[in-house]
Amino acid sequence: MSEMWINMGPQHPMTHGLWNLRVKIEGELILDVDPEMGYLHRGIEKISEDRHYNEVITLMDRTCYVAGLAWEHLYILAAEDALHITPPERAEYLRTMCDEFQRVGSHIMWYAAFVQDLGLMSPFLYGMRDRDLVLDLFQSYTGARMTYEYMRVGGVRSDLPLGFTDRARRVLDWLTARFVEYDQLCLGSAIFRKRCDGLGVLKATDCVEHGVTGPMLRSAGMKRDLRRDRPYAVYDQLDFDVAVADGADVTARYLVRMEELRQSVRMLRQILDWLDRHPGPAMAEELPRWLGAPYAPVGKEGYLLKRNYPKGVGFSSVEEPHGEAQAYVVNEGTEHPYRVKFRSPVFANISAARQYLVGYHVADIPPIMGSVDVCVGEVDR
Amino acid sequence: MQPADLEAALRPSVGAHLLGTEPFEGTAGRVRFAREGALDVFRAVKDRLGFRHLSMVGGIDWVDHREVFYVVWSDDARQYALLSTDLPAADPHVETASSVWPSANWHERETWELVDIQFDHHPDLRHLLMPDGYAFHPLLRSFKIHEPEDLEVKSRHV
Amino acid sequence: MSNLTLFSVSDLLVTVLLTAIASIFPEPIRGWLTNPDLLLGLACLVFGALLLAASMLNTILLIWWERKLLGRFMDRRGAMHVGFAGLLQNFADGFKLFKKDTVQPREADALGFYAGPTIYMVTSLVLFGILPISSGWNSGALPLTLLLALAVFSFAPLFIFVSAWSSNNKYSLMGGMRSAAQMIAYEVPLLLAVVAVVIVAGSFDLTTIVYEQQNYWFWGPLFLALLVFVAGMLAEMERIPFDLPEAEAELVEGWNTEYGGMLFAFFMLADYLRALVGSILVVLLFLGGWTLPTWVPAAFTSFPLAGIFWFMVKTYLVFGLFVWIRASLPRVRTDQLLRVGWNRMIPLSLLSVFLAAVLVTAKCLPVFGCVPSPGG
Repeated sequence: MSEMWINMGPQHPMTHGLWNLRVKIEGELILDVDPEMGYLHRGIEKISEDRHYNEVITLMDRTCYVAGLAWEHLYILAAEDALHITPPERAEYLRTMCDEFQRVGSHIMWYAAFVQDLGLMSPFLYGMRDRDLVLDLFQSYTGARMTYEYMRVGGVRSDLPLGFTDRARRVLDWLTARFVEYDQLCLGSAIFRKRCDGLGVLKATDCVEHGVTGPMLRSAGMKRDLRRDRPYAVYDQLDFDVAVADGADVTARYLVRMEELRQSVRMLRQILDWLDRHPGPAMAEELPRWLGAPYAPVGKEGYLLKRNYPKGVGFSSVEEPHGEAQAYVVNEGTEHPYRVKFRSPVFANISAARQYLVGYHVADIPPIMGSVDVCVGEVDR
Repeated sequence: MQPADLEAALRPSVGAHLLGTEPFEGTAGRVRFAREGALDVFRAVKDRLGFRHLSMVGGIDWVDHREVFYVVWSDDARQYALLSTDLPAADPHVETASSVWPSANWHERETWELVDIQFDHHPDLRHLLMPDGYAFHPLLRSFKIHEPEDLEVKSRHV
Repeated sequence: MSNLTLFSVSDLLVTVLLTAIASIFPEPIRGWLTNPDLLLGLACLVFGALLLAASMLNTILLIWWERKLLGRFMDRRGAMHVGFAGLLQNFADGFKLFKKDTVQPREADALGFYAGPTIYMVTSLVLFGILPISSGWNSGALPLTLLLALAVFSFAPLFIFVSAWSSNNKYSLMGGMRSAAQMIAYEVPLLLAVVAVVIVAGSFDLTTIVYEQQNYWFWGPLFLALLVFVAGMLAEMERIPFDLPEAEAELVEGWNTEYGGMLFAFFMLADYLRALVGSILVVLLFLGGWTLPTWVPAAFTSFPLAGIFWFMVKTYLVFGLFVWIRASLPRVRTDQLLRVGWNRMIPLSLLSVFLAAVLVTAKCLPVFGCVPSPGG
């Protein structure tokens, strides 16, 4: 076969979403790649400009459909920064718990999708089965399994239901045992190691050059994690290790994510213990009227009451499951944000695709792109 | 790192194009510069100050002018810094940062198509999120989201 | 039971029916109807129809078996709503495919596009006619059934490649290329492993090979050959870990990307027919066919159709092994697959041939004690 371009996507099993990877191949060898994004562009940044601050949260769940709570947290931090509001400590803990549960759910989902790209069928269903337990927990305190709308500017919508922490601990116990199984199914398989070792190598210097963050960066031996380097919420009060590996390849990314799962479980146990011991309000007392109850009936003038609110610019950065996400919220003293800009870690990770795909085989594309953990919703926004 | 540190490090190499630094909560500070000195600022920020990681490039349409902001991160200082420059709305172009930070490539493509800011010498300024040939820049304030009834829906199967 | 073959049953059926029908007609017509040539031809047709029905039913049952097993391996239940324990689910699926349109891509080559799956299906069905399933269920004593079966079995890559190329899709073409490369690479060790069996059994006739295993099944003395054969069979059947030609992660659906409806059903059925044939060959060559070890009480072997029953049990267990492998292994990469095929499997299969020759020459099977080797 001579050189040719093939379109992997927008409808292709490898994409795990809706995007197009144009690949130039000669036989089975990859000569060049050109990712085409935008198939899932919904204009979330534009829609946010016409929405109330609390209404943007709805969009955040739809930004990344496997890590909605992490994106809610990202936006909330920036919005509170822009509006000069401080949430109570219990709300911070609840948000951190959401983040970590979301990381567990997202990483398990990643595991399921990734092993299926390699043709491992059973672990895919094991992953989906175990992720369901996490979703059940979300359902029990947010009421939803995917679009949570749980966080609010100034706190969180509701406190935990009775008996939640015990239930959550049981789930964590179950998951901890399953992680061992996951490792046996993957690392214990010679074929898995043969396929993944030395695949999709992206060295730490290249990662930094191309803005690659998250587990991909840590798999290259760089110990950077915003939860430790620039703690937000209550991460500075939690005891955890930053997961790193030094292969810079697909196996290393697998190892990093598995270690992160264990560290998340470790953090979650600390958080659950704290929540048991410290009851309190989950919402800030002093909120501008228009923020406190967005869906309560407002007067005829409606939102006009809050025109005199101070201006501000909010910037936040969180370590979401895929990497470092950032939000930039401009508040011009109205009820709508003037401009909202999000930085998606997957956006940057995909933009470097040429660096870690060229030179490998067509059959390597699914595991490599799987190890990137693509979530198209947050790339296109 | 404080805004004063940024200023001290940048002033010698950038000179008059550095318009000033100001504190910005949660970061080392915000650097404002004139667009003529963009490349000098990028190089100085990356090489002198060690902000080797460019996280985000974004644009804001302030109607009378436009603003481009860059978010950079330093692993040594473990801090973010913001760089921003104002461009006249009539002629919104600025030197690309992708020669200094390759990661700026896609961010600038996005900023160009959404906020209509031209990046000079950009290696690959194509549409990213919007279809090829899309004539609008949706994140400009003049671009209104249409109500559903405003849109003329034409079916191919008449 | 042993002299009652499937063909004699169909022959008897046709003769009785036709004689009965002929008896109501006057003489010249009666004479035409009871013409022995006509009887023989009709008996052949009935025989074919019975074979077709049996193989199709078996294939569908095999798919059910795989779905149930896979379900259990994956901590779920598999098909369970249509019919008892989901037994009728595959009929429902088949019907769904049957009533779907066949979509032919505009630029596709019509002849290859339609001929490919059809011939693929037909060759797979022919295989089923060749293989003996019990002492009574075989198509007659051809002396070279094993050779014929393997020859027909290796037709497949050609027609896969034809249908892949003619559907004018890059993914199909890549899948077809992979398929051809893989099947040719694994054909060689597969045949060499069979040679080991043939050396020990001393015959190319599958029935003879089965009866040569009366004293001991060949899987023990020819364990290496069995390993090579099973691995080669996995590659021939294109099942995980060797399902590269239709690796859905990168090639969408490989060489059958463009096929839908009944043509896809042809591929699907033929795949499972080949899987069934693969399992049957393992049973015939290494697991004693329809016979049981001599120490098994006579009650287990003397009931009607005992041969077929035990044969099917063994076949489904062997297929269960393939399903187990599918449920627990990831897919290998093309270059790795070919490297293993040419660099590892062929030396191993040559070694197994050598071992078989040693066994026969020494007239001694060390594992099972020194009984006279049947081939020697």
